[in-house]
Amino acid sequence: MDSIIIEGIAFSIPLFIIAIGGIYSEGSGVINLALEGLLGFGAFAGGLSYALLSSVITGNPLLLIYASLAFAMVGGALLASLHALMCIKFKANQVISGVVINMLSVALTAFLANQINASVFGQPSNKFLLEIFPKVTVPLLSKIPILGALFTDLYTFVPIIVVIALIMAYILYKTPFGMHIRACGDNPHAVAAAGGNVMKIRFISVLVSGALAGLGGMCFAYSISTTFSPNIYMGFGYLAIAAYIFGSWKISRTFLACILFGFARSAGYVLVQKLELPSSYGDLVLTLPYIVTLVLLLFFSSKTKAPRALGDVYE
Amino acid sequence: MLKKPNLFKRIFMICCGPGKHQLLRVSLFCIFLSLLAGSVLLLLLGKNPFEAYRSILQGAGILPKTRYAGKKSQLTDFMSLLNYTTPMIFAALSVAVALKSGIFNICVSGIMVFSGFIATILVGYSSLAPIIAKPLVVLIGVVAGGLIGVLIGYLRHRFNMNEVVVAIMLNYIISYVVSFFIQTRFVDPITRQSVEVGQNARLTLFDYPIMNLKMEINLVFPLALITVFLIRYFITRTRFGFELQAVGLNSKASNYAGINVGKTVITTMLISGSLAGLAGVSYYLGSNASIQPRVLPALGFDSIAVALLGNTSAIGSFFASLLVMIFDSGTTYMSSRMQVLREIAALITSILLLFSAIGIFFRALANRYAREVEEV
Repeated sequence: MDSIIIEGIAFSIPLFIIAIGGIYSEGSGVINLALEGLLGFGAFAGGLSYALLSSVITGNPLLLIYASLAFAMVGGALLASLHALMCIKFKANQVISGVVINMLSVALTAFLANQINASVFGQPSNKFLLEIFPKVTVPLLSKIPILGALFTDLYTFVPIIVVIALIMAYILYKTPFGMHIRACGDNPHAVAAAGGNVMKIRFISVLVSGALAGLGGMCFAYSISTTFSPNIYMGFGYLAIAAYIFGSWKISRTFLACILFGFARSAGYVLVQKLELPSSYGDLVLTLPYIVTLVLLLFFSSKTKAPRALGDVYE
Repeated sequence: MLKKPNLFKRIFMICCGPGKHQLLRVSLFCIFLSLLAGSVLLLLLGKNPFEAYRSILQGAGILPKTRYAGKKSQLTDFMSLLNYTTPMIFAALSVAVALKSGIFNICVSGIMVFSGFIATILVGYSSLAPIIAKPLVVLIGVVAGGLIGVLIGYLRHRFNMNEVVVAIMLNYIISYVVSFFIQTRFVDPITRQSVEVGQNARLTLFDYPIMNLKMEINLVFPLALITVFLIRYFITRTRFGFELQAVGLNSKASNYAGINVGKTVITTMLISGSLAGLAGVSYYLGSNASIQPRVLPALGFDSIAVALLGNTSAIGSFFASLLVMIFDSGTTYMSSRMQVLREIAALITSILLLFSAIGIFFRALANRYAREVEEV
């Protein structure tokens, strides 16, 4: 039971922050299928910064780890600016731009990782090795039965992400700027009439989505394999898309969707282990979030409220 | 205000401005820009870009190499290129047809895995005579792909579900379920992939001796060529093709004009799915012989951008597929000759697709310049 919760949280929370990124971008009216590529590029930037800085900053691994998270956000935002440029300035089709950004991200990280490893570190490899992310067990809270598992062996990125997520939710729902973002997604012309700069607001939203996706991707890189490698492109970005559609573009509901996906995944794995089934049964577990989303959409697709101007080019 | 357009604007207008073959010129302009970007990249790495591009063409069998291994020649390289291009042609056509009626088929990868898997277990492991097995594989590809296509079309029409979302879900469901069956039943313990299909079912003949050469002959390449012309005829010359395009341009107006939008959407997806199914069998039982579990073929996603580069026309998709695959298959030779990393080809390809995605912007910009000049 404990391991279900521990593993589930470690998976759900990074997924959640990526999904919030998606909500920001799509909330402002820009379809973001590029999440997959953004999280991968963010993880690449984080992994690269870790590899480069580890020779400069010695003796303080914690600083190094947290710095790499920040660089991952910068990296994600950097690639997202390209998506924003394509969609907003060049008026490319947003779905196609997203798909192309994903391809570019895979190609670019593979190329750069190989090239940098060869020319800077002098070894043929497409990976950056990372340190194990620090974990904490909160002294008193972890003694609570069942719920205590929430505070046992907790990756320290979990509280960081939770704080960031709360801030992002506050900005989106409680500040004028957040209202502008949501208005851009529903009726950009109204924003323009009220004196807002639609293109600028959308641009910032897409950048934020890239930064958040990069952060989530870096956390996945730490928690799943403790390396940056091309294996980061496992479809978590698409899973995040499923999560916020499932949560009908609302942060609170998306949180529940992410928790559901994460726990279904970890529970499935534990079940496969307990029943002593071959590990390939894990593949069936992995289909669960997608099937649930599909079935739910089947019944509620007429009621889910996507931003009304989602995908519309604003001129 | 009188203002003469500057030199840059004039060149740009010649490249992308309104007039004859504007779409083609914009595509060529995008290709030129990406080759330029690739050259800059190669120069940064200290390599000669012309030499690099030449060795890509040599590797793909377009230009002759200086030396060949035994039983190999420019012709064998070229046949190999055609072999690898065949699935891409089908996949790009699949995307193009769907796009014509305003549907994004990003399920091509999933459909490829599905049809490839069904054909593999039904025919690939059987001992049917080649003359029966090979057409059967093609048929299964068409049917299996068409089924998924119809499912997407039906969900979109009946339940008003976004086809992109459905496609994402289906991609992963198919990928994981197929992976499950491969790993529990059909796994090759050494390669960790599915057991190779028999030669009787394979749509590509490898090392086929012709004139003292060992050739790769893709048996469905002629079918791909015929399909290109069929789709072209179908979209531009038939009533259904007209309806399909009308729905793509404005589905509400089409409905008002008496076109059965639902039927059109579902039929379009049937065709698109079948084409993706053909891509699947010619990939998994042709240029490859086994399925890697948990991996969605990148080709399925590349095909979206390839169709776009070809302006979603059938003929355009064909040439765009060929271009992208020349890069893909010429790279090995280039990277070994020039000491450049293999990955650079994928990078240049994705830059190319990036530019083709903003081709529409170039067109609009050039049109605007042209109007400005007229007003003056």
